[in-house]
Amino acid sequence: MSPTFYFAIVGTNDSPLYEAEFGVRRDENKHLNQFIAHAALDLVDDAQFMSNSCYLKTVDRYNEWNVSAYVTPSNVRLMLLHENKAEDSIKGFFTDCHELYLKTLLNPFYEPNAPIQAQAFDTKVQALARKYLL
Amino acid sequence: MAKQYRSIGEEVWKNKVEKVNAELFIFTYGSLVVQLIKDYEDYHSVNKQLDKLGYNIGVRLIDDILSRTNLEKCKDMRETAEVISKIGFRMFLNIAPSVSAWSADSKEFSLILDDNPLNDFCELPPRAVQGGLWYSNVLCGVVRGALEMVGLLVKVEFVRDVVRGDEVSEIRVRLEKVLDEEVPVGDD
Amino acid sequence: MAIHSVFIINKAGGLIYNRDYSTNIAKLSSNEALILAGTFHGIHALASRISPVSRSEGGKDTGIQTIDTANFRIHCYQTATGIKFIAVTDPSYMQLSDVLARMYGLYSDYALKNPFHNLEMPVRSELFDTKLQQLIQSS
Repeated sequence: MSPTFYFAIVGTNDSPLYEAEFGVRRDENKHLNQFIAHAALDLVDDAQFMSNSCYLKTVDRYNEWNVSAYVTPSNVRLMLLHENKAEDSIKGFFTDCHELYLKTLLNPFYEPNAPIQAQAFDTKVQALARKYLL
Repeated sequence: MAKQYRSIGEEVWKNKVEKVNAELFIFTYGSLVVQLIKDYEDYHSVNKQLDKLGYNIGVRLIDDILSRTNLEKCKDMRETAEVISKIGFRMFLNIAPSVSAWSADSKEFSLILDDNPLNDFCELPPRAVQGGLWYSNVLCGVVRGALEMVGLLVKVEFVRDVVRGDEVSEIRVRLEKVLDEEVPVGDD
Repeated sequence: MAIHSVFIINKAGGLIYNRDYSTNIAKLSSNEALILAGTFHGIHALASRISPVSRSEGGKDTGIQTIDTANFRIHCYQTATGIKFIAVTDPSYMQLSDVLARMYGLYSDYALKNPFHNLEMPVRSELFDTKLQQLIQSS
């Protein structure tokens, strides 16, 4: 069975900036994904003080899901729900996504903490997912 | 002739102008445009304001160019276009737009900007594209202001822009009138 | 010092700057200086029109570049934007256009780049005063 991923970027005020699913879609999980990611935010807050790096590895588990997180210095959180473990590739994925997010921030028309609607961003994230995760 | 302008432009760029950090410049311009949009809430007014800003810059910059280059007076519009591209744009933005699409009467031409530093990082939201925003409209004002100071009244406008999804960025310049500024008042 | 005084005239013929750099020269009242600027502007424009060469070529002459008297010489440098830089020197000064061109550079740097400076208006900038003084003294 091919793996499934759920990826979300959460702004500094806990609002979702971006969401995406990669791999096989399972509709029954749709709302659950958001829920799991949101529930893990508190654990991210705790975990970020235990580590020097942005990549916090797996911060939470829920049934078959692992929740990995990456916190930018500006406290924007990148969350990834995944079933299998592959720390190196997830780290690579996060780092590149962080860079993409920074490029979005450079656009004068993008307001910090606003949902990211640019089609180009979505395309690039999907490409990164194919590169690292699928 | 064109080659000579190119080397003058490059010489000035290399030795005679102070440089600033490009990102600082781009962000300053970007936040200026976005703030204008917030304040005016209408893209056509924003275009107009950018053009005015540019005009105020242009009327001053022209003396900067002339005092650093020792140029002769241009004989015709074709020469003027070369100077704008090879010296003007080179000196301040380190680009040299190509001059093309001359009208039959040699009064109208296009500047094709292959690379416009102002556009870096910029992605226009769809409503700005629909609203008719020309993001780099300040450049039109600069060209208009600079040429007015040497007695050339021109109409300058963007007709295409890559941030709006066009293939290239194109500024159209049309000579409307040549001013003869040397006649003393009351002489006629 | 061989440069006695400097005038800058805008494209409308208005005096926007004048300074004396030696005590030898007769002081002009501000009104006289304005009249001098206006008059010079006028004859400069006329001179560029009576050129015999320009008619046939369809172009225009550069106008007056120097005026000589027994005791001094007036040098004029006009920019493409119509600003005139004028200096009064000893007659021994044959060529002053490079100094005047550098004056133009100072004007564009210290007057025009000040956002609070209005075009066509008198130059009031201490920095410009000092830089110009240095230039005059070094030449």
